[in-house]
Parts: sequence; C-alpha cells; structure tokens
Amino acid sequence: MNTEFTELLRPFLKFAGPEEITEDARLRDLGLDSMREIELLFAIEETFGVAVPDDKLVDSTFATAGGLWGVVEELRTPVGGGSR
Amino acid sequence: MTAVAGYAPAVETVAEIAAEHARQADETAAFPTEALAAMRRSGLLGLLVPEAEGGAGGTLPDLVDVTLALGRVDMSVAMVFAMHCQQVAAITAYGGEKLRAEVLPSVARGERYLGSVTTEAGKGGHLLTAESALEHDGEMLRVDRQAPIVTGGPYADAFLITTRAPGAGSAAQVDLVYADRDQVEVEVTGGWRPLGMRATHSVPMRLRGAVPQWQVIGEHGGFREIATTVFAPLAHVGWAAAWIGAAAGAYARVLRHARSEAGRRQFAPSSELVLLRLAGIRARLDAAHALLRHTVSVVTDAPDMSAAPVQMLLNTLKIRAAEESFAAAHELVELAGLRHGYLTDSPLALERTFRDLRSASLNYANDRLRLANGALSLRDPGVRLA
Repeated sequence: MNTEFTELLRPFLKFAGPEEITEDARLRDLGLDSMREIELLFAIEETFGVAVPDDKLVDSTFATAGGLWGVVEELRTPVGGGSR
Repeated sequence: MTAVAGYAPAVETVAEIAAEHARQADETAAFPTEALAAMRRSGLLGLLVPEAEGGAGGTLPDLVDVTLALGRVDMSVAMVFAMHCQQVAAITAYGGEKLRAEVLPSVARGERYLGSVTTEAGKGGHLLTAESALEHDGEMLRVDRQAPIVTGGPYADAFLITTRAPGAGSAAQVDLVYADRDQVEVEVTGGWRPLGMRATHSVPMRLRGAVPQWQVIGEHGGFREIATTVFAPLAHVGWAAAWIGAAAGAYARVLRHARSEAGRRQFAPSSELVLLRLAGIRARLDAAHALLRHTVSVVTDAPDMSAAPVQMLLNTLKIRAAEESFAAAHELVELAGLRHGYLTDSPLALERTFRDLRSASLNYANDRLRLANGALSLRDPGVRLA
C-alpha cells in the first residue's frame, strides 16, 4: 500500500487515530460505515484514475485496507499484465 | 411435502388460540402467553430448526407462510414468532457445534423461546453498533446490557444479545452472544404503553451475567456478517409477512362482513365507490405480497447478500410492505366507516390492525433505510435489478 492510499483512507476511519494503517486493518472496525463507503469509492477512483466495476462493490472489497488496495492495484494494471 | 404442509394443523391451532386472545392481549398490552404455549406444544417454535437437530427444517418460504397466517389474526403474535425464528436462523448459520447442540433441539421441543436484544439507547437505532461491552472475566465473558425495547423479553427463555466485542477499539466491532435466562439477571426497567402491537410486550430491560466463550455466535466482531446474511434479511422478510398478513386479515374480515346480511346493506355491490376502494386495497396487498415472494426467491439464491441490488431490494421490501399494509388498513377504516372502522368493540377489529400497522414504518425506520438505499444505489450505476 502506498502512503497516498493510506492517507486517503484515514479521514474515513474515525477510530484509526494517528496509528499506522496496516494491510490487515479491518476498515469497518476502524469506523468505515456503509453510508460513507461511496464517498471513499469516489475518492479512490478520482485519485488513482480507476473505475471500480459494479460487481466489485460488495462488502468483501471493503473488508481490509490491503484487500481494497489489491482491487485498486488490479485495476491499475493494464490488461495483459506488463509494467506500470 | 414441505415443512409447512406438515405444520398446517399447528399453524391452525396457534392461529385459533391467538385469535381468541387477541383483543384481551391488545387491551392489556400483555404478552400472548396462550399463543406462545401453543407454539411450544405444537412444535412451531422449531420451524426453522434443521431436521438433524430435531426441528422441521423449514425454509424462508415456510417462515413467510406461517407468519402471514399468524399475522391475519394477531400481528403481535406474528412479530413474536418471526423474531424468534430470526434468532434460530442466526444460531443455525453461525453458532458453534456445542451451542447448536445445546440450544436447537430444545427449541424444537418447544422448551426455548428466544428473545432478541439489539436495541440500545444512544445509538439511534443503528443495528451495526454497540455501546455496552463484553468483558473477559477469567474463562467467562461478562455482559451488562441495557436495552430500551426487548420484544417479549420477560417471557424469553434465552436471549441473543449484541455487545461490543471484548477489547474492541470501536462501537463497530460487535458480537452476538447467546445467554440463557438463568445465566443473566433480568431486570425489567420500565413499562410498555404503545399505540399498537401492544401484545409484543416490548419492555426495556437490563441483562447482567456471564457466559462462556462458546456462546459467542460467529467470530468476535462477526455480527456485521450475521446481520447482512441472516438478521436483516429475516427481519425484513418476517416483518413484511406479519404486516401483509395483518392487512390481509383485516381485509378478509371486511369482505366477509360485506357479504353478510347486515353488511350487504352497508356495502352495496352496485356502488362503484365500494368496488373501487376494494380494488385499490387488493392491489396494495397483491403488490406487497408479490414483492415479498420475489425478495424471498432472490435472497434464497443470492451468491453474495452484501451486493447492492440485493440489499436495496431487501430494504425496499421493508419500506413498501410497511407503507402498503398501513395504507390498506387506513383505507379499510375509511371504507368501513365509524361503526366498524373506528370503534374498538367492532368484531372487524380494524382499529386494532390500524394501530398495529402504524408501527411498521418506525420498526427500523423507513427513512433510515431510504438513506441507505440512496447510498447503495450509487454503488450500482448499472442498475442491476435483482
């Protein structure tokens, strides 16, 4: 996870405090609620220039910081692999 | 043969007894103890207990059938039944082996009626947060939980309680814990003086005690998943069935009255006004019932219950069933007039159904679900209709 991503996450996690946000951080435990999930999604799409497909918009995508980052990474990778 | 076909006589018996006591229970805001006793005796409490654990192995459509039937005679009884089944389903799906073995066969034998403790002051009706904590005390987990509304609480043999997980850093880490009545000190901290659904006897309570680790249902902090896959779907489906049943029962009483000798003078079949009103009410019931059945089939086959289209459909069911059922009751009152629509001693009991159904939009607030659906709809720009 890059810093840009974790700092983007932080305002949505009202219980995270100043501590480091790790890959296995459970986003809902840290205060991400379903009403703000969509705002987080918009922020991610704008910042990383990706469009998260509808079928990824399920609870499991937003379960952990690392899992969500994985989805972003996957979407940033051009089809057929190759360098970023 | 479905479970419900086998249970038809049980449903009939319970409905008869519920009908017999409905007026008294409503007048005194007393719990329907006779109907509960009949549910125990007849095995109906075990409808959703798997066959392997001694139950009927009933499915979601079975729950709907039974709840609709009970709702026709007493909405409170239907709510009590549906919410008990919601607890059974949570234990069946997420309870550990020991808990299932301890609890489910006794539910099937009618020995345990399960109460639900999810409300909490200060959290504004949010299901997915908890303020009071579950704390380690040696091998045990200590519970001290106050809840403003516990349906049938004083009559429950055991409770499923939401609490903050041990050592939780936030109110969003919620556990669901099973507690037998003899494991907790039960204190009723107030009364129950509502407009309607009076027989649910949903008093405020304080529960204090300790339970072993194996009575935590699912993992620590796992309530969110239980809520998504079991609690919310069964609540919305069960409530919708109770409400639609209540409205259908009232409608049936009006129609029977309209066809009686006395009623024929009041409800002339040549009156276009009467016909239009009757058609409008029927349309509400058919639409809400169709939505209920469709939602059940979607929920039964959904690969991921957290998907936005499924969540929105479940919320829409709750919202629309509440609105249509209450509107139907309102129109029945209007149609029947003062004598049969408004007086408490009318045998049609429309005013009771009207008061009961007024609760529907508030029983998990429709507005809160509309807000959720607004956010969810942005998660589904493709509008994948479920």
